[in-house]
Amino acid sequence: MSETGNNKKEVIVSVNNLTKSFGSNIVTNNVSLDIYRGETFVIMGCSGSGKSTLMRLMTGGIKPDSGNIFVKGKDIARLYGNELDEIRRSYGMLFQYSALLDSLTVQDNVSLPLREHTKLAPDIIRIIVKMKLSLVGLRGYEDYYPSQISGGMKKRVGLARAIALDPGIVFYDEPTSGLDPVVGGVIDKLIKDLSEKLLITSIVVTHDMASVFNIADRVAMVHKGEVIAIGTPDEIKNSANPYVQQFIKGSPDGPIDLFKEDIGSEEILDF
Amino acid sequence: MISVIGASIVNGYRSVVGIIVLFIETLYWIFIGPFKAKAASRQSIFYQMIFVGIHSALIVFFVTFFTGLVLAMQSAYQLERMGATLYVASLVAVSLCRELGPVLTALVIAGRVGSAIAAEIGTMKVSEQIEALEIMAINPVRFLVVPRFLALFFMQPCLTVLGNLAGIIGGLVIGVGSLGINKDLYIQTTFKYLELKDIYTGLVKSFVFAMIIALIGCYQGLNTKGGAEGVGKATTKSVVISFILIILADCILTAVFFFSGS
Repeated sequence: MSETGNNKKEVIVSVNNLTKSFGSNIVTNNVSLDIYRGETFVIMGCSGSGKSTLMRLMTGGIKPDSGNIFVKGKDIARLYGNELDEIRRSYGMLFQYSALLDSLTVQDNVSLPLREHTKLAPDIIRIIVKMKLSLVGLRGYEDYYPSQISGGMKKRVGLARAIALDPGIVFYDEPTSGLDPVVGGVIDKLIKDLSEKLLITSIVVTHDMASVFNIADRVAMVHKGEVIAIGTPDEIKNSANPYVQQFIKGSPDGPIDLFKEDIGSEEILDF
Repeated sequence: MISVIGASIVNGYRSVVGIIVLFIETLYWIFIGPFKAKAASRQSIFYQMIFVGIHSALIVFFVTFFTGLVLAMQSAYQLERMGATLYVASLVAVSLCRELGPVLTALVIAGRVGSAIAAEIGTMKVSEQIEALEIMAINPVRFLVVPRFLALFFMQPCLTVLGNLAGIIGGLVIGVGSLGINKDLYIQTTFKYLELKDIYTGLVKSFVFAMIIALIGCYQGLNTKGGAEGVGKATTKSVVISFILIILADCILTAVFFFSGS
């Protein structure tokens, strides 16, 4: 890890000794990590490894049993209501299935955060929505409903909505899953562009290896709720850890044995 | 066996607490929230009022109209023996305004609107849309529950009045068309025995029923788990629970009005 380079950077999300369990199933086990401003940080791992839970803890969607998550100096594990919402206004999130409100048009979906959290005039909001949509290459689709556009387009609209308020941090939950390789590549490029052009900190949960090595500045591998490796993509690629190697190669044989494991935590979290 | 009973008691208790909490949150976002943070969007309240009220008007009209017809025929059958068919008019009017109008309207709305609310919010829940709202710092209660609650609260009494009128017209059709009562006499008899309190006790009921339908529908929707099957279950539950609570509330309110002499 390029220690000297990272130490100069500002820590924007700091996770300390985070533990969360559902019943007797420990899904996040004493996790500590720092995420720096402007970097693209990828959390990878098998289904049920606890990576989605880790992200939901960071977004404040669920509360940990113990530990802290400092975002811009505030512990969001202890924040509720308005204080939590204040932090969340600096968040954007792209959901696995886009999570667009299907009763609203593309225009209304993207403008929703602006209408809710700013006092901008409707004309200005319309201009901002146009800008955000052209960033994701979807100008002209303002009046379509989510049911009328393809999955890849929905993801891009979701991305436009996530960046509507110019957030400092954007979370991506499996951004490329369920998309064809070309659209997946487009989404990867968008994530990269956004973090470079707008200096957004990106936190990506994925198990798409191609995507990981395309976009990541740093990678953390999660297995059974623990971070077992963390470093730059090259360091991860050359890691001696057998779990990491098996995961990268996607081999059925190795220390990760799905047949011996319990059902994953995501099963429980799948609400 | 005991564990099954225990689990269902615990679940029932949790639901009751959950619904009360949702009710308090809804009241907060109606009365306090607008001054502290942000009010529910007026546009979505009106949108819901159109869906709840205008689009339900026809079905409410038909259900209560035919009930008025049936009620007139059945009571005419009984009253004929006493030679008092004229009183069909007041019997239909009083029983509709006090009882059948509010209850039937509520049951129709629970079936049409309550289920739609549960299905819509439930689908939003299972497709991460509720979570997306929360991440966007948009309170789901303010954004989704309050407009539906207010729309039902204001439209339910309107629909009830419409239902009362439709039922009375149904009675009139039988009274004039089949029983040979003079039209003016029928209308006169209708209003002769219909008192103001008959109408307002019915309206008080309709406000309570509106709150039941909105809260149960929203609660079931917000607590949907597990995909399409979960949405189906939430929808069914919302209708079944609303029906039971509407009848129960009706029984309690009728008793209150009866024993308090109104």
